[in-house]
Amino acid sequence: MAKHLVTLTVNGDTYDLVVSDNQTLLDVIRDEVNLKGTKRGCTTGSCGVCCINNAKGEAVLSCLTHALEWDGEEITTIEGLEADGELDAMQKAFIEYGAVQCGFCTPGVIMSARAIVNAHPEPTEEQINAGLAGVNCRCTGQIKVKEAIREDHRFRHKRETGSGTQD
Amino acid sequence: MGCLHLLPSRGVFIAMLLPDHSYVKAKSLEECLKTLRETGEKAKVVAGGTDVIFNMRLKLFQPEVAVSIRGLKDLQQVDELDDGSVRIGAACRLADLIDHPLAGGRYPAFKQSLEAVASTHIRNMGTLGGNICLETRCWYTNNSDQWREGLQGCYKTDSELCHVIKSSSKCHAINNSDSPPALIALGAMLTLQKEGATREVPIAEFYRADGVNFSVLEPGELVTHVTIPPVSDRQVFIKITPRKGMDFSLGAVAARCDGQGEQISNITIVLGSLVTAPVVLDKPAQVVLEAGLTDDAIEKAADLVRDELGEVSNLYGRSIYKRQIAIVLVKRALVQLREL
Repeated sequence: MAKHLVTLTVNGDTYDLVVSDNQTLLDVIRDEVNLKGTKRGCTTGSCGVCCINNAKGEAVLSCLTHALEWDGEEITTIEGLEADGELDAMQKAFIEYGAVQCGFCTPGVIMSARAIVNAHPEPTEEQINAGLAGVNCRCTGQIKVKEAIREDHRFRHKRETGSGTQD
Repeated sequence: MGCLHLLPSRGVFIAMLLPDHSYVKAKSLEECLKTLRETGEKAKVVAGGTDVIFNMRLKLFQPEVAVSIRGLKDLQQVDELDDGSVRIGAACRLADLIDHPLAGGRYPAFKQSLEAVASTHIRNMGTLGGNICLETRCWYTNNSDQWREGLQGCYKTDSELCHVIKSSSKCHAINNSDSPPALIALGAMLTLQKEGATREVPIAEFYRADGVNFSVLEPGELVTHVTIPPVSDRQVFIKITPRKGMDFSLGAVAARCDGQGEQISNITIVLGSLVTAPVVLDKPAQVVLEAGLTDDAIEKAADLVRDELGEVSNLYGRSIYKRQIAIVLVKRALVQLREL
């Protein structure tokens, strides 16, 4: 098994990494780039905990893809959402609506939620349901998460107009 | 088999790292076919990775070489041919095909079948070729290798036994993918290429009634394109799952016909996810073709479905339940066709 040099852009920072053939993108994000926000769940594609966003802002599962496949590509993980010490609108919405319990799956849920609003800025019920299929939270459930995603645009607006996070 | 085991995920102790293998990223189709010829059965083609890596984690696939075709741009094109058919590259992502005017936009049943595949995440990665070549699934093999050790092996894991039907001389793992029934109903052709040879196979003849060697694909051969002929809009696809999203199907049906109202001139009905290969229903189709899509004929056609299926005892419940599902699916499909 050989090692290869891979250039990967994670959250805007470019990393030159030495990656072996059998490492998945998840292994590389957690062990080589050392960003532990992306979690290892079922590793078979049913839980959505390892979800990240690709360059187009779509949700993909980092556990089901070879890291070597991503040479030269750009990805966003949960750590890349916060900018200049301010949380992303979706993260604020999750806090506001209490869409978190134990928090283990939250990075994956938020990245899936981001992908939903990237594709549909004010998503309908069906679009939210479709985007959250394949995301398993065993404690919060989906109700609070769906509320947060529905109201995410409110928080985006606040950031643009510069007012505070809470009324 | 007294209970419904809806999710075959008992005893999943998944290895942290993938098994050792080398990874080759093909730069051109020629290079890919050459690598596949040289490596033969030791190679696995990876496109989206959602099925291959899953099976590697279960140690069902232990390839020495993984050949990636994700970089091949010529397999990611959708073109309209001169005769009005649409030629789709096998490495097109499912998510892209759903919204594509020539693919999902032109063939409603195909679109419905793609939308039914797993979750948005999986559709953002998985490819059409991968869905067509999806590994067959079984309540025994789709568990971790430690779990499987509790029982003797089976045909799929190099032993001479089938846990689904003990007396069987072949593997009864089921074809559980969504797009093949729709593509068969639409009369699609597959282009299979290996180094120095190209052949066209109707997708209806692509699958074999054996869970281990479930397709006519030879070692070193690759599905490169899917060609769908121009057909009428009277087509449906229905999939039954425990939950609305994510799940593999308990049963799926695709149907397509020509003609107006109850009078039809040509009909194909295909059942998926019940046995080792999608089942094209000839006798029920004959009944509705002769009598038209009347209530009586639909009932009669649905009754005949029972006899056309083989053993359906694998995954998601007992065969009596799955046979009933097949009947209901065919009825629903025919009623929906009548209204189109």
